[in-house]
Amino acid sequence: MIHTHFIIRQLSRSSKQAVVFILCIILSLSTLTAFTGFSKSVNRSLLDDAKKLHAADIIIRTYDKMSDGLEKAVAEQVRLGRVELARFYEFNSVVRAPDKQKSLLSRLKVVEKGYPFYGEVVLLSGLSFHDVLTPGHVVVEKTLLDRLGLSVGDPIKVGFTTLTIGDVVLSEPDRPMNFFSFGPRVFISSQDLNALGLLQTGSRIRTVYLLKSKDDAQTDALTNLFKQAAIRGQERVNTYQTAGSRIKRFLDNFIFFLKLVGIFILIIAGVGIHGTLTAFLKEKEQTIAIMKTIGATNRHITLHFMLIVFLLSLIGTVMGILVGTVLQRGLAGLLADFLPPDLRLSIVWSGVFENIVIGFSVVAMFTFIPLYRLREMRPVMILREETPRSAKRWPLYASGAMFALFFFGLVFWHMQDFRFGLYFVAGVGGLILITYLCTHLMLWILKGWKSRQLVVRQAIKGLFRQGGATKTIIITLTASLSVIFSIYLIEKNLDATFIRSYPEGAPNMIILDIQPSQKEAFTQMLDQKVRFYPLIRARILAINGETIKHDSERRRRRDNLSRVFNLTYQNSLLEYEKIIKGKGLFRKDWTEPQVSILDIVGDMRKMGIGDTIRFKIQGVPLEARISSIRTRIKESLTPFFYFVLQEKTLGAAPQTVFSTLRMENDKIGPLQTKIVNRFPNISVIDVSSAVQVFGRLLKRLSKIIRGFSILSMAAGVLILISAVFATRAQRITESVYYKILGAKKTFVFRVFTLENIFIGLLSGFLALIVSQVVAFLVCRSVFEIPYHLYLTSCLLMIGATLLLIITIGVISTKSILERKPITYLREQPDG
Amino acid sequence: MSILEAKEISKVYTVDHRNITVLNQVSLKVEVGEFVVITGSSGSGKTTLLTLISGLDQPSSGQVFIDQQNITGASEDDLAPFRNSIIGFVFQSYHLVPSMTALENIMFPAELLGDPNAAQKARQLLKRLGLEERADNLPSQLSGGEKQRISLCRAMINQPKLLFADEPTGNLDSENGKKMLSQLVELKTEQGATLILVTHNPEIAQASDRVLTLKDGRLSE
Ligand SMILES: Nc1ncnc2c1ncn2[C@@H]1O[C@H](COP(=O)(O)OP(=O)(O)OP(=O)(O)O)[C@@H](O)[C@H]1O
Ligand SMILES: [Mg+2]
Repeated sequence: MIHTHFIIRQLSRSSKQAVVFILCIILSLSTLTAFTGFSKSVNRSLLDDAKKLHAADIIIRTYDKMSDGLEKAVAEQVRLGRVELARFYEFNSVVRAPDKQKSLLSRLKVVEKGYPFYGEVVLLSGLSFHDVLTPGHVVVEKTLLDRLGLSVGDPIKVGFTTLTIGDVVLSEPDRPMNFFSFGPRVFISSQDLNALGLLQTGSRIRTVYLLKSKDDAQTDALTNLFKQAAIRGQERVNTYQTAGSRIKRFLDNFIFFLKLVGIFILIIAGVGIHGTLTAFLKEKEQTIAIMKTIGATNRHITLHFMLIVFLLSLIGTVMGILVGTVLQRGLAGLLADFLPPDLRLSIVWSGVFENIVIGFSVVAMFTFIPLYRLREMRPVMILREETPRSAKRWPLYASGAMFALFFFGLVFWHMQDFRFGLYFVAGVGGLILITYLCTHLMLWILKGWKSRQLVVRQAIKGLFRQGGATKTIIITLTASLSVIFSIYLIEKNLDATFIRSYPEGAPNMIILDIQPSQKEAFTQMLDQKVRFYPLIRARILAINGETIKHDSERRRRRDNLSRVFNLTYQNSLLEYEKIIKGKGLFRKDWTEPQVSILDIVGDMRKMGIGDTIRFKIQGVPLEARISSIRTRIKESLTPFFYFVLQEKTLGAAPQTVFSTLRMENDKIGPLQTKIVNRFPNISVIDVSSAVQVFGRLLKRLSKIIRGFSILSMAAGVLILISAVFATRAQRITESVYYKILGAKKTFVFRVFTLENIFIGLLSGFLALIVSQVVAFLVCRSVFEIPYHLYLTSCLLMIGATLLLIITIGVISTKSILERKPITYLREQPDG
Repeated sequence: MSILEAKEISKVYTVDHRNITVLNQVSLKVEVGEFVVITGSSGSGKTTLLTLISGLDQPSSGQVFIDQQNITGASEDDLAPFRNSIIGFVFQSYHLVPSMTALENIMFPAELLGDPNAAQKARQLLKRLGLEERADNLPSQLSGGEKQRISLCRAMINQPKLLFADEPTGNLDSENGKKMLSQLVELKTEQGATLILVTHNPEIAQASDRVLTLKDGRLSE
């Protein structure tokens, strides 16, 4: 028999606990729904729109000249009518306004008529792309017009030619408009390519062959055919489905992070669920005990409370999913700049279902123990105030094991990466364990502290209140604070290293693509001593005769040996470098080619003096012996090279030269214009403005990330509230007794507040230690930047935390303080 | 000189829109050092009267003076010093702080006063009532009689002028009840306090200076 009245009465009597319980569920489910929903719909959209995103069926990309074999294979298929071909070339170059003396580094895209096969380039005029982009015309991004003071119809100088601005581009299918790029887009017709005069060897040009297959069924076969013809590691052949993009990689990483936060919040909210339910049931103890005295069965009682939990969970789940859906939209809005144009966000029903299952599992897991304890409640509790310690421990262990299993499963399911999942679980587990031990230790010290102050003693006593779960509160608060603090510290350090502290006197202009023949004229024009660095692009074929495997190299998360490296030749050490192994940069006694490597190369593969590296430079192999290993003494923005060879070895190789300059900010623009007017092939990068662009980007991203980590704080706050509820009965008792014995309200207030201050201080300082360690490790080993402690900011954050905790404490104990003693005494059974 | 005076106090409870008058214009005057017993059948309003004249609750009408001061309408904080050092209260159902040991419970009012000898005084009282062994027990680890005596110690530690006891023997057997009462009276006389005691026990009533009976919301000698 189910007593609806009983259920309603129980709920309405403890409506506050019920609300916090529901809030915990909403919090966990809404973040999970938002993150997984966002990720699923982004992935689906990226897949559905993959053709559009790559503008083709088959995509061949290279930074070299397309090899003859592949060129022939493609030409053959085009001739047979199986595919259509449209090529484009992408590279940076400085464009100029002819009479305005202004110039701007831009991202050029020289496209053939067929581009794009799918999706479209949208123009401001509404005209069709190729109708406007006829030879002699360019289509540019709006920012370019603004910054150069030009308008449609004006001439613009690109490379060695002058073209006419035909239109403004609003969006292109294969790049989100504001994605990481330091220059605005300029579209040029392929018929103008040669006139630009910018295709010298050595400049970094991205060549892309877009192919449209006549018969979809043939796409894979054709792709394989081209793969066979391609040079591995140099030319990449993909279908629209397998071709990764920078957008996808970025979103993958971002979503990966969101999921971590999501799982983290789920756990913390789970603890909150456990806490509120325990509090809720604690208030019902008397009722339950009496029900048992008058003969209610365990089954009856458990069933009713389970129904209550189910009802609340249902409300929480439904609302959580609704909120999550809204949150997902907000997320898409925040990330709009980084998403492909017209990305369609939809509700993925399988995801919703998955979340409902996860939500209920979490609730089931965290409510199991409190509900199970109902069975062990004895009617004697009407007489005694203590809660009997559970005699049977196994349900606790069982639920613990179940939770661990579930958590593991969830992590692996979302991470899809066993090793990383393991690290994550171990990391979180270790973090919790360490926090637990520290909390334990500190509480133990506090317990032994016999203060002369009554308030202090009572507050400490409060920390050990039954069912107070002080440890749980401190651990969860520490965990969420650690996340927030760590993100903050990492962001601050990144900001300090890359953005703010642009070193005094460090070069702030990089001049690229200087032809060796232009060196002299360039120096004359600048009228100052210029240091040139020759640049020779090469790949590594083998080390000590062992071939570099592209597939396994590419799978590394960080740098890998299969990419293109820039070699240089110098006869002396560069600035800020020293030799850590070997006698001098090069050995006089060796006759064969020699190479000096930077120590970080050794991170990718162990190498020592005398080992050999086999390079391939413009198709020509070159084997060199390692003569020395260098290291950088100081992080600085001066150029450095992984591989330095001798002039006699590389002097004749096809090369470009680059140089760096230090200029006052307001002189950079005019100088850039002057250089490019004289040498149109030379690219000038204004590093300080590039750094600013990067800085703005970093700020925006970290704002989003911080926003989400604050959600985990919300979970911690809910726990604190639920803990105050859990101990509400005891706090009321205490406050009433204090009062009838003659304590003033301020005394009670001070005791409760001091208790919260202890909690805040403990978790704040633990979080400080944890986050300093985490941030240090991340900064030093992931970003490889120097680390600062930012102690003042940290102390401020701890202060803010304290304030928050105290405020919450005050608000939630306010009603307790207001209680008139007599009302309470009347309610009390004989104690 | 009167230590306690109640002028025409009434208490009306409202349950489900119905008014129940528990006390109807009750007046009472107690002199310093007096021992007054209040009796009456169960539900007659004894506890209610006691809570009103001790300032634990406010009357619906009428006024209460303790030590010549009008405490009617006083705030909780204004009442705090009264509760702490002028009044002692032994409840029908003990009301010990569950998280404190017996000793700590007794010490507490003295500590609130900042008395440096709190612990010493508390131990003396404990010894007096033969409970030294129980000093470190929590209330849940004490018997009813023991709890009652602890609450007596707690009420006495600040040597109150006015001691209220609401059926302090109600939960004890007659043997222990007697012992408890004689200890109570002993302490009272020793400290020169005024005692207002609620009890059904006619023997005790005999030992008192005055017996007041509550009936139908009115008090009679
Ligand atoms: N908060 C309240 N609301 C409504 N009625 C109340 C309230 N408190 C007490 N009463 C009623 O007031 C009357 C007097 O209660 P009181 O506790 O003073 O009785 P008592 O004389 O102490 O009884 P006993 O000897 O059983 O302890 C009772 O009938 C009780 O039902
Ligand atoms: Mg009574």
